[in-house]
Amino acid sequence: MKSRSTNRRKFLKLGIAAGATALMASGGSVLSAISGPENKETGEKIKVLTADGQLMEVDKGHMCCQPASNLSARQGLPGKKMVMVIDLAKCRNAKKCLEGCQKMHFLPPHMDWIKFYLLRDSPDLSPYWFPKPCLHCNNPPCVKVCPVGATFKRTDGIVLIDNDRCIGCKFCMAACPYSSRVFNWEEPKMDGKNPGKYSPETSTPPKVGTVSKCDFCPDMVRKGELPSCVTSCPNGVYYYGDKNEDTVTNGTDTVRFSELLQSRAAYRFMEELGTEPSVYYLPAVDRAFDYKVGFEGLSEEEVALYKKEARITD
Amino acid sequence: MNEDEKTQQNLQAFKPQIESISRSGIALIVFLSLVICFGLFCLYTQVTRGHIVTGMRDNVVWGLYIVNFIFFIGISYAGALISGILHLLRVPWRTPIIRMAEMITVISTMIGPSYILLCIGRLDRLPNLALFGRIQSPIIWDVIAITTYLSGSIIFLYLAMIRDMAILRDNPVKNARWRNPVYRFLSVRYRDTTKQKELLNVSTDLLSIVIIPLAILVHSVLAWIFGMTLRPGWHSTIFAPYFVIAAVYSGTGVLIMVMWVFRKVYHLESQITKIHFNYLGLIMIILGALYGYFTFSEYLTSWYGSIKWDMEVLFRLFSPSEYFLQFVFAVFIGVLVPIIIVTVPRFRNINSIAFAAVIAVFALWVKRYLIIIPTLETPLLPLHDLRPEYVHYSATWVEWGLTFAGIAMFILLFYLFSKFIPILPIVRTGEEKDYSRLRKIVIEKQVKQNSGNNKKGSVITASILLLFMLVPLSQAIAEDEPEIRTVLKLEFFHVDANQDLVATLRARVDGKYQPLANMPLTFRYIQGNTVKEIGNAVTNLKGKVTMPIPENILNTGGENGIYSFSVTFKGQDKYPQATGNTTMKPVKLEMSFVLKDSVKMVSLKALEQGKDKQWVPLENVDIQFYVPRTFSLLKVGKGTLENGRTSIEFPTTVPGNQLGYLILVAKIEDNETYGNVEVSGTTNWGKPVPPEKIVKRGLGDTNAPLWMVYTLIVLLSLVWFHYMYVIYTVIRIRHLGKI
Repeated sequence: MKSRSTNRRKFLKLGIAAGATALMASGGSVLSAISGPENKETGEKIKVLTADGQLMEVDKGHMCCQPASNLSARQGLPGKKMVMVIDLAKCRNAKKCLEGCQKMHFLPPHMDWIKFYLLRDSPDLSPYWFPKPCLHCNNPPCVKVCPVGATFKRTDGIVLIDNDRCIGCKFCMAACPYSSRVFNWEEPKMDGKNPGKYSPETSTPPKVGTVSKCDFCPDMVRKGELPSCVTSCPNGVYYYGDKNEDTVTNGTDTVRFSELLQSRAAYRFMEELGTEPSVYYLPAVDRAFDYKVGFEGLSEEEVALYKKEARITD
Repeated sequence: MNEDEKTQQNLQAFKPQIESISRSGIALIVFLSLVICFGLFCLYTQVTRGHIVTGMRDNVVWGLYIVNFIFFIGISYAGALISGILHLLRVPWRTPIIRMAEMITVISTMIGPSYILLCIGRLDRLPNLALFGRIQSPIIWDVIAITTYLSGSIIFLYLAMIRDMAILRDNPVKNARWRNPVYRFLSVRYRDTTKQKELLNVSTDLLSIVIIPLAILVHSVLAWIFGMTLRPGWHSTIFAPYFVIAAVYSGTGVLIMVMWVFRKVYHLESQITKIHFNYLGLIMIILGALYGYFTFSEYLTSWYGSIKWDMEVLFRLFSPSEYFLQFVFAVFIGVLVPIIIVTVPRFRNINSIAFAAVIAVFALWVKRYLIIIPTLETPLLPLHDLRPEYVHYSATWVEWGLTFAGIAMFILLFYLFSKFIPILPIVRTGEEKDYSRLRKIVIEKQVKQNSGNNKKGSVITASILLLFMLVPLSQAIAEDEPEIRTVLKLEFFHVDANQDLVATLRARVDGKYQPLANMPLTFRYIQGNTVKEIGNAVTNLKGKVTMPIPENILNTGGENGIYSFSVTFKGQDKYPQATGNTTMKPVKLEMSFVLKDSVKMVSLKALEQGKDKQWVPLENVDIQFYVPRTFSLLKVGKGTLENGRTSIEFPTTVPGNQLGYLILVAKIEDNETYGNVEVSGTTNWGKPVPPEKIVKRGLGDTNAPLWMVYTLIVLLSLVWFHYMYVIYTVIRIRHLGKI
């Protein structure tokens, strides 16, 4: 604890204030900082900008710390406002994002932080696949109702859960209009996997009797890396980024956030609820796949369920 | 008959109730204790195995427990509203029933909240409610309201018992070794002096005034737990008053049931008469009619408005395969049957009114089920799950066990309490005279002992535990080991002053490339026929390794200015050996920001090392301009070098930091001759991002809005001031009793 705060102080001494822009040294990137007991010097330098515009080189070990402690995880990443854009035109229900997410967060097979729907807004319209992580609302109904402040909204727009504080009353689950939250109904089986020390930023290891959900991977953002759903998607459906930088990326393309929203007529899901999600959807126009492709590899039961939900009669 | 004689008569009549316990009473206690023990076993199962043993799942997150919670808090209204209002209005016939009503309140307010505890996944963390409580959360409202309400109800019940305990103190009870000192202590030296009487009456009046709005608030808060969410069937302004009315309705019903039972058990036929049943029955059906009206208004509004989700919930309620029967019972039978029984003189007698009360209470329990479960089964997005227990809620034996344990606890506490103090007040106050007169006027008909009225309509569907077992894949199918290819890529990066070789080692397994970590690589510099080793390094988790090019090599001048490098992987385990090569030619890039005719431009100058280490302008090479962002580089422009120079217009709309500073990177990318060359510069020409406005108080913030804090402080201090005043009065009564 002490060493971490010392490091943070060291980092702050550099005068890096809100809005600091990190530039990763081209080429390699070292992951060694995750496992070490404290932030090590990785030898890899990152360029950062001080508030007054000086270019500094900082060791990456000082930039990306260990997953934050329960208390410091309540502070958002300074100057950031994380947003996601989901391109429905490219989704074919491959569910690779979920696979990546479950692997990264050591989730049991049925614990879905990303859910998939086959939506059909009206019988005259065509069905489309709709992957849905937590929408990280700016006016989150779940945070409002939490009796102990175990779930909270950070300045960087991320809604997190402190599983060491959560009392498991499930009020947030009842309050979330998007069914984004799941409960650890029994002791999570880790099957020998070691997710390391708990942090609200990694949401692992999961804790029995508490609520969990998609956490927007702030631990990855700290490292300047993309969440697993973004990198696992074979079709580049997920764009993730910092709204304050007006940039989102799906790992391959890096685009201006505002331009993407404008050119593709983006919308937020159920805007009328007033929850102000941080996740934007690009409508399924000029699709890359027919929606039927999404049925591939699914059990007959599940296909039938999707068809029923989307009122497909054939 | 004067008051004292009446009191003595009552004392003699009630004493046997508290002096002895019948054999069937012991049997009842044993039976109820067994049910409670089974409930404790259920609780143990739930705590040790987790909430997986309940029927609750991710969609239906609350089940029977919350239904019971609302139910018990609902019936607690009997005491608060019935006894409070009857007391204030000085209704003459209230005296025999008022203690039962208050006992219902106290006992059910103790049992109700334990059900909300059963919904909590981590009981060990309950102290968090005190440590981190947020008053924006309706759950905290509930915690505060219920504790305040329970405290008030206990004080109210106690005030009404002081007179009786004084009597019991003065007329010691047999078999009451530990009770007599308790009576002595609790009766606070009450000797019925004028001053003591006055003080007691004032504080009882005061408390009955406080307890009525408090009771309304408690049930409103309970309704708001649901009303504050954005769920169909819950998010409704009618919810708070609707809950209040439904609560008083069920509370009156339970009071009638309790009256009926104790009338039989303790043979109180002369005390609890048909008048009480008739009047309470009348109150009950008025409330029942109100409840029916609220229900109609609620469903008519959502049906007429026909918002998609409201319709989905209504569809469930009216669908014969889902909740139609329960709905008919809870709404039609639960309202109409009591009304018909009480209003039609032919049907109206003590037993039938008690039967009507059973119907009403049971219907209200089902109604609470219909409020909670169908809404939770109807999320706004389709409930996409193949596991049936996640789609439809079905209570398990654990939940039923704890439900019955709660009912058993209610009966047990009631019974034990009736052994501590007579279930009817011994001391009759002035209004009793009116009551006696009233009783003479109304000619009581002989009560027909109808035994056929005990049939209870049952709508509870049997609980089925659905187990959905996952069959894990037991064995992976063994396949022939496929051919593994190793690819080693070598690139040159020239970033500012650093000139590095970056090698990436990957293996192709099953048609997919994956990085090879912790593999030793050897870097070499090749000049003509001489090969010079630069160094060895181990790949990182991404299969990458960075090797700086030593100064002495860069000073050699290469072969006509071109430097060649190689990297080798000797091969390890199943991964065959691999080699990578690259060449580079030293380049110098310089970036500058210039204002040209008030247009902000980024200008780049590029030189390459020509013959004899001379720096000459670079020609016809593409330059990419980027702004680094958190995860990646945002492309902002592209230029082609002409005479060693190129420039782009500065992207002024790209956000920088608070002062508009940002980094701009210019790159030569993957060039066959020059490799990757990069230079960066900073400027404050970016769009400044204003610092985030920090909202400190709000529904979603740590601190509550001030109006909320003030409201809470004012309400709580108002109520608790009255409690304190009443307690002070009791102390004064004790003081006045000193002889």
